[in-house]
Amino acid sequence: MESLNTLWLSTGLANFELGQVIMMLVGCLLLFLAIAKNFEPLLLLPIGFGAILTNIPVAGFSEVGGLLHYIYYIGIDTGVFPLLIFMGVGAMTDFSALIANPKVLFLGAAAQFGIFATLFGAIALNAIPGFEFTMQDASAIAIIGGADGPTAIFLASKLAPELLGAIAVAAYSYMALVPIIQPPIMKALTTPEERKIVMGQLRPVTKVEKIVFPLAVLLMTIFFLPAATPLVGMFCLGNLMRECGVVDRLSSTAQNELINIVTIFLGLGVGSKLSADAFLNVETLGILALGAVAFSIGTASGVLMAKLMNKYTKAPINPLIGAAGVSAVPMAARVANKVGLEANPHNFLLMHAMGPNVAGVLGSAVAAGILLALVGS
Amino acid sequence: MDNLMQLFTEAGTLMLAGMVFVFVFLGLLVVFINTVLVKLAQTYPDPVVQRKPQHNSINKKEAHDGVSPSIVAAISSAVTQYRQQHSKKK
Repeated sequence: MESLNTLWLSTGLANFELGQVIMMLVGCLLLFLAIAKNFEPLLLLPIGFGAILTNIPVAGFSEVGGLLHYIYYIGIDTGVFPLLIFMGVGAMTDFSALIANPKVLFLGAAAQFGIFATLFGAIALNAIPGFEFTMQDASAIAIIGGADGPTAIFLASKLAPELLGAIAVAAYSYMALVPIIQPPIMKALTTPEERKIVMGQLRPVTKVEKIVFPLAVLLMTIFFLPAATPLVGMFCLGNLMRECGVVDRLSSTAQNELINIVTIFLGLGVGSKLSADAFLNVETLGILALGAVAFSIGTASGVLMAKLMNKYTKAPINPLIGAAGVSAVPMAARVANKVGLEANPHNFLLMHAMGPNVAGVLGSAVAAGILLALVGS
Repeated sequence: MDNLMQLFTEAGTLMLAGMVFVFVFLGLLVVFINTVLVKLAQTYPDPVVQRKPQHNSINKKEAHDGVSPSIVAAISSAVTQYRQQHSKKK
């Protein structure tokens, strides 16, 4: 009888707590969004499954000795996984559109206003009882506005590891929701005539330019913002491997096999942070709300900057491409193209929108570097 | 409350410093692209690769007859084999 009792006590049914059940349901919701709705499936699937694993009673996945514990500490606590992902993203990024029309870098810069404005929002939430965000927490939350998963995870792991799960889930969820969040803001801030603006053809970019560009970006980061060199350095390494043309095997590995392997572990590691005590609180709701605000402000400031530039530059700029300044490559550029096509079926903005899109990646890495340098110490 | 005001001031400074820095950094990059990279592009343009017309005898033959000689050879050997097997049975 006693052994039967011991057996019963070792079952999951006897040990379940309400919080664990709720978090497993959250994990299932993420799996549903990934599989049925195709929302960022590459990350939401391992994150959702990681959330289920980490909340299994008795198994101890996230305790010392558990698999997810080690995955988190080896890859995310050290910052290694997001940086390896960033190298892969660099190897997948083509800067041609940006080099051909460099002034779109200002659109990528303007869209970062979403990050810094959200800092205010996070601090303002402290006025409500139940919220106690420090400046580090607020900075880590605000980076969701950069719409860049690896950057958000990297910064959160350095500044506010206890909020990492909520921040990563918010960042990837909103990136998946870009086609729903952005168009109403883009349409509200532009007139039909502005949306119809046709942009001139981009000049061809030479191989030498593409090789020198990542080296120049790295050099500038070394000079002006060394705190951002982990992110920018790995990004530039990946991009140089792509463009130099002599290490195609390495470039291919960085943008395929390596990024896929790291994505599995990164997702599981983030999922391990979705434990009931860390996730089921009022702060998570605040983070989800602030993430949406950050995205919206970033989109709006990109569009407004593009409108301003269109007034004062010779070559016409369609304000819609400003929305692509929030990174979220290549989804935001596709959204700009789609909204442009609705206004003028013969106006293809995709290549023009890729410029601010990749500028947004650089911009959010620089913003993350600034936050690390000013708040991290 | 004082603490909140202090945090607000800090956030304001961070916003101002951050946005100015992002603009200056990316602005410098714009200047770099417009000067150095454009010069580089003029000095070292991409070599123009001229595609040579293909001189492939098999392709020519294929274009002429519609069937490549290797396929013709495979079919002929199969037919020969089939005939030999048939003649043995008889």
